Amino acid sequence: MPAYIQGRNVNLTFRPPNRGPVRALYGFDIDVNEGEFLSIVGPSGCGKSTFLNVLLGLIRPDSGDLRMHGKPIAGPGTDRAMVFQEFGLLPWRSVQHNIELGLELKGVPTETRHNVSQHFIEMVGLSGFEGHFPHELSGGMKQRVGLARALATDPDVLLMDEPFAALDAQTRDLMQVELLRIWQEARKTVLFVTHQIDEAIYLSDRVMVMTKRPGHAKKIFPIELPRPRDYEMRVTPEFNDLKLEIWHALKDEITI
Amino acid sequence: MTDQTLPNPAVPADDAVTRETFVERYRKPLLGALAVLLFFIAWQAVFLVVPFNALFISKPNLIFSGLAELVVSGELWADLAVSAVPFLYGFTAAVVVGVTIGIVMGWRVRVGYALDPLMTVFYASPLVALAPLLIVFFGVGVSGKAIIIFLLSIFPFIFNAYAGVRAVDRLLINVVRSLGGKEKDLYLKVIVPSVLPYIVAGARIAVGRGLIGVLVGEFFAASEGIGYAIAKFGDLFALDKMFACILSVMIIAVVLTEGIRWAERSAFPWRVGQ
Amino acid sequence: MSELQAVDANISTAAPADDLEAPPKSLWRQLEPTVLGVGSIVALLALWEALPYLVTFAPGTKLFFTTPSQIAGTLWTMFATGTIWAPLSVSASGFALGLGLAIVVGLPLGVLIGRSPTLNAMLDPFITAFNATPRLVFLPLVLLWFGLGLWSKVVIVFIGALFPLLINTYEGVRNSDKLLINVVRSFGAKEWDIARLVVVPNAMPYIVAGLRLAIGRAVLGVVVAEFFGSEDGLGVMMVQAAGQYKVAVVFAGLIVFAGLSLVMTGLVQLLEQRLTRWRPQHAAEY
Ligand SMILES: Nc1ncnc2c1ncn2[C@@H]1O[C@H](COP(=O)(O)OP(=O)(O)O)[C@@H](O)[C@H]1O
Ligand SMILES: [Mg+2]
Repeated sequence: MPAYIQGRNVNLTFRPPNRGPVRALYGFDIDVNEGEFLSIVGPSGCGKSTFLNVLLGLIRPDSGDLRMHGKPIAGPGTDRAMVFQEFGLLPWRSVQHNIELGLELKGVPTETRHNVSQHFIEMVGLSGFEGHFPHELSGGMKQRVGLARALATDPDVLLMDEPFAALDAQTRDLMQVELLRIWQEARKTVLFVTHQIDEAIYLSDRVMVMTKRPGHAKKIFPIELPRPRDYEMRVTPEFNDLKLEIWHALKDEITI
Repeated sequence: MTDQTLPNPAVPADDAVTRETFVERYRKPLLGALAVLLFFIAWQAVFLVVPFNALFISKPNLIFSGLAELVVSGELWADLAVSAVPFLYGFTAAVVVGVTIGIVMGWRVRVGYALDPLMTVFYASPLVALAPLLIVFFGVGVSGKAIIIFLLSIFPFIFNAYAGVRAVDRLLINVVRSLGGKEKDLYLKVIVPSVLPYIVAGARIAVGRGLIGVLVGEFFAASEGIGYAIAKFGDLFALDKMFACILSVMIIAVVLTEGIRWAERSAFPWRVGQ
Repeated sequence: MSELQAVDANISTAAPADDLEAPPKSLWRQLEPTVLGVGSIVALLALWEALPYLVTFAPGTKLFFTTPSQIAGTLWTMFATGTIWAPLSVSASGFALGLGLAIVVGLPLGVLIGRSPTLNAMLDPFITAFNATPRLVFLPLVLLWFGLGLWSKVVIVFIGALFPLLINTYEGVRNSDKLLINVVRSFGAKEWDIARLVVVPNAMPYIVAGLRLAIGRAVLGVVVAEFFGSEDGLGVMMVQAAGQYKVAVVFAGLIVFAGLSLVMTGLVQLLEQRLTRWRPQHAAEY
């Protein structure tokens, strides 16, 4: 049986005007199970964001086969939603209207839209901030809005591209706990790109390490730590062993 | 379950991908040239269907032969030369006076406070409306036109020089000072390089306004000059020559503004993207 | 437990309220720019008014001289007797029609060119050429085609105001945030939604700046079109006045035109404030 999300030999080369071509993905294979939390780590510029954008349907790969539910990806769809590193909130829309963006484009009537956004505003803990504009929010709050917006369209798959990278360390820790809670509650399949090995281990069922550009999977680590996971788990020997192994796999790929 | 190491396919170099072709690379200028060509062809071709009335419109072939005629007979050069004189006077005066005022306004904070609203009022009012008065007062010769041109083109210099001086980075001044720079070095190494790009950018705007001055002056009352020529050929229904003169003004305007733009890019490459 | 004990710092002093007032500047430092700015204008007007008492003009020059009080008087009479309304409404309608047309054409075209590289490449030479050329050069042609009167004025105002609007809109669209475009695309937005949800709001500051420029050009267009190609309107009134040495009337006309452009700019500013309530307010700076 094919996996829930299955990529085979996905290739993509950027051809920026007036410059040489850049191969971003080459021979990229991936299998993601339904309901799984999969993290992707890899050196900067190895094609992680590119892959998420391909899966989201924003960029068409040059060749290869990428399917979800057995159906090839052909453009954006409401079964997938992305949480962006730089939040990507429309600055001229309030929290509530940002969260309703996807529903609006889906043609959901105002009444329903309002109920849905209210539900997710509560879920991410932003009650009372419905009317605030993005510039009035802290980084952590902005990313909660980003998360709520992605969840509001009820996608099957949540794509997260370094969602917490722009947050300070404490906020990031809190957001990770929140994310696990929400993931358990909403039962989505999550693809999570990060630079932090800790974060990847703490959150994931599996961690995929990518090679340097042009990127493809190098090694996949199952994380068999029991759930629910707590913060203290991060200082256990098992956790640290995993961290070291993943670091070894990753470090050969990093060039500065 | 154990870790899964995956096969590592051999990756061809980036260059193995086909590079962009000539057409891909120069797509923009090629498309632009094509569009211009098509425009002239369509203009010419339209009269195969629509009857041609030479009193109201002309065709590219007639315009180009009209232009050639004006060039060969020397009429065009004569008119352009007549228009160029007041332009040079007015524009030069605008540069000198405008840059001076702007620099003083930027350098002396109180002068800036005092003159900023006044200059804004002048800039916001359509000074070209004074043209009839100036023409009546100074006459239709060089001085009347030069003064209109001066009035219209001085403000971009004032405002840009003003902005340029205010934008000089005080930190850089301190850096040069701390490295033992003298007053002269401050000017040569910090102030002039900071302000000059603003002034040149101002010149680009001022050129257009100066050309308006030339045309207004000459449309009013003149017996020579390129603006006069356009009006005259219009009155005579010599549409081919009228279009030829309009075309030459367009060419001059484009050469001047794009020339300044090019100079900006090559003289101040560090400002690209600002 | 170790010897080190966490101490709950007991901060008893009340935290300062959020709405702490900005530290006061000295009154003079606050007022200086306004006082100097207004002062210089007043001083200039006073000097102008006093000039006839200070110097004696040659008879020829005297004919061309007027004072602010005379100009104000003329303006007053024009408004009081109502003689201004007929020419003003002629000028204003040319202005409004031309500018309106420029907005209707310029904004959508700017968005199209900004979003379509092909269209941009093809129209670029024309836009560059027409933008560099003072559009006044087409006045004789426009007069030939549209005759004296309203429509040639509308056309001149239109081609004058079109390019700043078009070019600014284009720049704004080109500078729209790629990330935001991707966000809405990821939710299934089509080109129209992208324009509506991201590109146009994003380009608003550019569009407003373009509108400001366009107002200036439109006023200029009205003035010149009326100088050369009209039988009535404020511009005509001014040319006739100049010929009859009624200098005060010329300046009165100039002031009315300036007022028109100020009022329009003010309206644009109001519009901008309404449209940009989402933007951060700048905190007070020193
Ligand atoms: N639109 C683009 N045009 C050209 N090159 C691109 C583009 N997007 C990404 N790249 C290049 O492709 C490579 C992979 O980028 P990306 O997927 O963003 O990396 P990362 O793994 O850090 O997310 C990088 O070298 C990047 O410079
Ligand atoms: Mg990335």
